[in-house]
Amino acid sequence: MSRLTAGSQSSLREANKGLLVDTIKQFGGLTQVELADATGLSAATVSTLVKQLTESRLVEVRPTSRSGRRAQLVTLARATGLAAGVHVGHRSLRVLLSDFNREIVAEQSMPLPREHPMDTVLDRVALLIVDMLELVASSLDELAGIALGLPAPVDVSTGMLSVRGVLPGWDSEHIGEVMGKRLGRPVYVENDANLGALAQMTFGATHPYADSVYVRASYGTGAGVILGGRLHRGFGGTAGEIGHVQVDPYGHICRCGRRGCLDTVVGAEALLASLQTSHGPLTLRDVITRAVDGDPGCSRVLADAGRTIGRVVAGVCQAVNPQAVCVGGELADAGSVFLAPLAEAVQEHILPNRVAPMEVLASPLRGDEVAKGALVQVLDSTDLFAQGGDGQ
Amino acid sequence: MTNRPLTHPAHPPAALPPPCPPSPPGQPPLPRTPVLCLQGITKRFGAVEALLDVSVQVHEGEVVGLVGDNAAGKSTLAKVIAGALQPDTGLIELGGEPVQIGSPSSAHALGIATVFQDLALCENLDVTANLFLGRELKRSGLMHDGQMEAHTRSVLHDLRANIPSIHTPLNQLSAGQRQAVAIARTLIGRPRLVVLDEPTSSLSVAQTAEVLTHIERLRDLGLGVIFISHNLTDVRAVADRIEVLRHGQNNGTFGPDAAQSDLIGAITGATRFGGLGG
Repeated sequence: MSRLTAGSQSSLREANKGLLVDTIKQFGGLTQVELADATGLSAATVSTLVKQLTESRLVEVRPTSRSGRRAQLVTLARATGLAAGVHVGHRSLRVLLSDFNREIVAEQSMPLPREHPMDTVLDRVALLIVDMLELVASSLDELAGIALGLPAPVDVSTGMLSVRGVLPGWDSEHIGEVMGKRLGRPVYVENDANLGALAQMTFGATHPYADSVYVRASYGTGAGVILGGRLHRGFGGTAGEIGHVQVDPYGHICRCGRRGCLDTVVGAEALLASLQTSHGPLTLRDVITRAVDGDPGCSRVLADAGRTIGRVVAGVCQAVNPQAVCVGGELADAGSVFLAPLAEAVQEHILPNRVAPMEVLASPLRGDEVAKGALVQVLDSTDLFAQGGDGQ
Repeated sequence: MTNRPLTHPAHPPAALPPPCPPSPPGQPPLPRTPVLCLQGITKRFGAVEALLDVSVQVHEGEVVGLVGDNAAGKSTLAKVIAGALQPDTGLIELGGEPVQIGSPSSAHALGIATVFQDLALCENLDVTANLFLGRELKRSGLMHDGQMEAHTRSVLHDLRANIPSIHTPLNQLSAGQRQAVAIARTLIGRPRLVVLDEPTSSLSVAQTAEVLTHIERLRDLGLGVIFISHNLTDVRAVADRIEVLRHGQNNGTFGPDAAQSDLIGAITGATRFGGLGG
C-alpha cells in the first residue's frame, strides 16, 4: 500500500499507542521485547511509547525476569483495585478480572463437565483467579471481591440456592462461605440472569431504560428484572425464574419437582432430545452453529423454543410492564433464527401500548454479560474509601 | 498364557475381525463413516498383553475421551495409532479404508497427528521452527520463512492460542503455551485425527483451561480427537464419548452424561462390560 499522506506523525503515534494497549489487554502482562514482537513495532518505538503511556498513567512497568534475564513487565495501570467476575454455566466457566474503572485486565474460559460438583468447580475458580492475578502481576490483597453467577435462584442474604434440585450438587452448602474460605476475600453469590440484567442496565442494551427485563436463554432459561433502575430479586431470590413457569400441564417432571416447566420444553436436554432421531447425538453448541449455517432441523428447534419462551416472557411483561426486553445467552447467539420468533411471540401476547411500545433487543455483550454483571456487582458493593490505601 | 506366533502385519490373520459398523450400536444411523476405526487391536510385549482385542471409533468433529488407570494400555494405543508401534493383530480403518500405519511419518501422511506426553518440542527453537520441525516448507532449496510464519500465525489464530510472539524460543514459554504449540503443530498438514496423550497432566488450572478450550476448537474445526487423560473432570468437560480401558481391554463406552462414579467403577473394574470375561 502507498504511504498514507493524510496520517501525521502524531496520529501514527496515537494509533501505535492504541495497538500497544490492546495487545497488553489481550495478554495480561508482557515484557517490552514480547510487546515489540506481538505488535510488530520496533523495540525503540515500544520503549518510547511505553514511557509515554507510563507518564500518562495508562500502563505500569514492573521488574520481572524472563529465562533468567531481567526484563520490564508492562501491564495496564489499575485504578485502586481489582474485582473478579465469575460465571459458572452448565457447561462452561468464565472468569473476568477488572479494575475499578471497569477495564477488563484478564479473562479466561474453561469447559466444564455436565452436572459439575460444587467442590471441583469452586477449586478451579479459586486457582484460576490466583493464576490470573499472577498474570497481571497482582495478588489477592488487591482483590476487592468475587461475584459468582450461577444458573439457579440464589438467596442473596445467605448465599445459598433457594430452590432445591435446580442445580444438582450445589444445594447443600453455603456457597459464599465455602468460596470465601478458599480465597479469603468477600464473595457475592447471585443468579446468572440477575447479573446479566445488571450488566445490560450498566453498559448494555437496556442502559437507557429504568424498567427492563433481561432474558437468558441458555441450557436453562431465566430472567432478571430491573425496576426503577434497581435489580428486583424478590424475597427469596426467585423473581424472574421463568424456567419454572408451567407451559405444558401434561409435560415431563422438571428438576424442581413440578410438571411441565418451561425448562422441560426448551432446556438443552429437551432441544437435543428432539433432534436425536434426525441428527444423532449433538451438543447445544452444535445445534446453534448448524442453525446459523441454515440447517433446517436445528433452525426449527430454535425457532419453536423462541416462540415458547416469548409467550412466557410476555407474561412477565404483563406483570412488570418494562420499557424493553433484552435477550442473551447461548440460544440468542443463533441470531434472528431464535430471536425473531421470540420477539414476535412477546409482541403478540402483551397489551399493545400506544404511548410507549415495548422493544425486544438482542444482547450486545455476546456471552459476557453474566461475568460482566458480576464485576458490576463487586464494584457496586465495594466502598472504595473503606478499602484503605490506594492500592499502589 | 498361550504363546501364539505373532502375525506379521503384512499377513493378516485368517479370521479377520469384521469391518467397522457404520455407527456405534444403540445410536441412530449417522450418514458418516468414522475417521478412525480400530477393530480387535492386540499388542503383546513378550508375554505381556498390553492391548487385547481393543476396538475404538472416532468420528469427524467428535472428541473421544480415553481413560483408564496406569498400565491400562492408553499410551500403547496412542502409539499404535501414531505408527510408533505395530499391532500384532487387528484392523485399522481410516475414513473407511483399511490402512497400515507403518511409521510415525506414514501416520502423518495419512492425516494422523499425535501429541505425546513429553511434547517432543525443541526448547531452543522458536514457535515457527517447532511447528515445521522436520517438514520445513522450501522454495528452490531454501526455507520459505515468510510462508511458514504466515501459516504459524493462522494456525495459532485458528486455535485462539495466547502466544504473544511466534519468534519466542520455547524455553521462554509457559507449560500451557508449550502445550498450545504442540497442539498447533498437529494442525500443520491438515490432519483428520488428533491424538492427545495426557495434555493436561502437568498444567496449572489456567493452562488446563486453555488446553481444554483448544480441544473444543479442534472439534469445531471438524477433526476427530482422541483425548487420553487421568483426570475425569477434564475428560468429561470436553468429550462426546468416553472409552474406558482396563488391563488392555475395552471396559465400557459411556456417553457424556455418564456419572463420575460409573466411570470410576469401570476404571477400577468394579463393573465389567461387554462379556469381556476378564
